[in-house]
Amino acid sequence: MREFIKSTRFKILLAFLAFLIGIMIYAVTKGGYSVSGSSFINTITKPFRRAANSISMGIEKKLDIFSDSDSYYEENQLLRKENSDLKKKLSDYNAIKSENEELRKFFTIKEEHEDFVLSQPCDVIGYVTNDPFRSFTIDKGSADGIKPDCPVVTAEGLVGITVEVSEHVSTVRTVLSPDLSIAAICSASIADYGIIEGSVLAAEKGYTLLKHISPKHKLRTGDLMITSGSSGLVPKDYPIGTIKSIDLDSNGLSVIAEIEPCTDITRLTSVIVITDFSGKRSDSDED
Amino acid sequence: MRIKTTREQRILYIKTTIRWILYYFLIFSGFVIMTSGTWYKPILVLPMALAVSMNNNQYASVLTGALCGFLIDISCGKLFGYNAVLLSVFCILTSLLFELYLKHKFLNYMMITAAASYIQCFLDYKFYYEMWGYANVERIFSQITLRVWIYTVISSVFIYLIFSLINHFLMPKTHFTIEEAISTRSQQNN
Repeated sequence: MREFIKSTRFKILLAFLAFLIGIMIYAVTKGGYSVSGSSFINTITKPFRRAANSISMGIEKKLDIFSDSDSYYEENQLLRKENSDLKKKLSDYNAIKSENEELRKFFTIKEEHEDFVLSQPCDVIGYVTNDPFRSFTIDKGSADGIKPDCPVVTAEGLVGITVEVSEHVSTVRTVLSPDLSIAAICSASIADYGIIEGSVLAAEKGYTLLKHISPKHKLRTGDLMITSGSSGLVPKDYPIGTIKSIDLDSNGLSVIAEIEPCTDITRLTSVIVITDFSGKRSDSDED
Repeated sequence: MRIKTTREQRILYIKTTIRWILYYFLIFSGFVIMTSGTWYKPILVLPMALAVSMNNNQYASVLTGALCGFLIDISCGKLFGYNAVLLSVFCILTSLLFELYLKHKFLNYMMITAAASYIQCFLDYKFYYEMWGYANVERIFSQITLRVWIYTVISSVFIYLIFSLINHFLMPKTHFTIEEAISTRSQQNN
């Protein structure tokens, strides 16, 4: 071992390690954009990852039927009841809705929010491996006009924001993450507001949290929370999720609510990125 | 050492090329599997990098370790270069340990893999979750970090078998002349 430490080989290996540490430090200074090496690997591997992910999602879907049969049965019973009620009231509406395709959904976003500048519909290449907060990568990047901190949505609601952008691939941090805080108000009463922020426990159920609610709130289970747009990070009045439960915070001073996102974040196949909107915080504002 | 004929040298060159193509094909496959689906998955490329290091010199090991580290950084969404540094160190140490002290045994490989993947998973948990003080962060350790570590150790059994198979057929064997064999034998007897 002593001979190895004194050898030229050891010095070369040490120099290589210093080079790798240099790359790591350089990556930190990139401010949300990928290092060119990472961008290159992402571009090369994109088609393989997309193919493998679609196969894997198909297999998981099949296996889920066996592994979660009890919960599926209960859920099925509940859904059947709800479904029969809905069928009576909304049979025509459901028939029309089922005909709508995914691109049509995205088109409605533009219709409802004329100030939005939208990217092309983005396919979800895959979820970040072993991430408890369900970050994922999409097949569009800086070449498609996407920048870091752009809101990512579906027609149903807000999904998250872009955090790392390569030329053709971007990583999205979801609303399940504790690292993403978004001001939200209740669509029913704008007097009730709070901060949407994920937590470890809520993320396990696919939920996020509404924190810092006033103790004198009038929120109820089932209320829809929408973005307030005050931070300039996300557009105003976009749906986030519905309240599942309301409880006192651990400090006892404020109220906390569990929010079920409008979109099932654990099973996304395509999303859209809002590259610009009225009231968006610019980089100079941030400085 | 016996002087190899031109034909033997050519076969050796072809075998070595095929061996490295297979190594990197397996690493690439591991990366693709890691990035697909939504379930928790083993860090497949870590035991693969160690399996390569076990049978190769430090230069080949450090390059393989760095590449596998970069692939982990991309698939797990970590700082680009963080796992590359970590795996480079692991691979150099593994290569040195097997060159100087350890025999190429399954148990040795498993112990090294278990230790290296535990350190990788633990540091990942420390730097990316615990350090930021999320509420109930210990659940990430018990529910995800340990689970991923166990999956990685289990997967390394199969990875060892696959790499052993490749090495069995494609790794160049050390040849001795009769004189060298006799001298080695006599040295052992003395």
